[in-house]
Amino acid sequence: MKAPENWIDMSEHSHWPEWVYIGVVVALLVYVGAEAWNIERIVEHIPEDAELITVTAQQWFWSFEHEDGTKEIGELHLKQGVPYKFEITSKDVIHSFNIPDYLVLMDAVPGRINTIWFVPVDAGEYEMQCREYCGLLHYNMRAKLYVEKA
Amino acid sequence: MRAVCSLSLVLMILVILPTVNLAFGAEVGEYLDRRVEIWNLFFRMMVVAFTIGAVVSGTMIWLVIRFRESNPKATPTKYEGTGELDRYE
Repeated sequence: MKAPENWIDMSEHSHWPEWVYIGVVVALLVYVGAEAWNIERIVEHIPEDAELITVTAQQWFWSFEHEDGTKEIGELHLKQGVPYKFEITSKDVIHSFNIPDYLVLMDAVPGRINTIWFVPVDAGEYEMQCREYCGLLHYNMRAKLYVEKA
Repeated sequence: MRAVCSLSLVLMILVILPTVNLAFGAEVGEYLDRRVEIWNLFFRMMVVAFTIGAVVSGTMIWLVIRFRESNPKATPTKYEGTGELDRYE
């Protein structure tokens, strides 16, 4: 049915508040994307003098190898204030290397080396764990991080 | 004036403080602490999330109050309450 001729014409009303509204929301969303991208870029930049630690995951324990060939199983000794670069891989299924107190989290994937870095700022003992369900004893796939005073 | 102050506050938290921190915060020989960067990002994202939430819900609340039938400033169309519009639904 056709609308009557005296139907109210809404095309004459002001549009500027709607554009301000859309502009504010779009600007904030663009900021969210740009800032997250920028911080990710900054955090992923590995210092050149970082010491290499090779991390190998397998059901259901962690093994670590230092640059000088020293190997550790189920525990890792690091020095306070030194940057460390972890090269993480897996021998069997997908695991995920996690140090909750330092916000370190990276998947350990068979046939692939993933890298992540951090500086242990405070001396002490910290937990390391698997954060990807990897089988029967996943819950117990833990290791100890010892940060020694510089 | 209040709107300008609020906008300035939001801009300061989101843009100016992180830029100043980036320019003067890091010294030679210091390494970035990922915990600081990631948690700061989280808090800035929370500021944005709550700002968007306030803008969207504030607009909806304003619409409901401003355009309610009982508002003295309401300018109803000549069809409201007559049942005439029912034919076009």
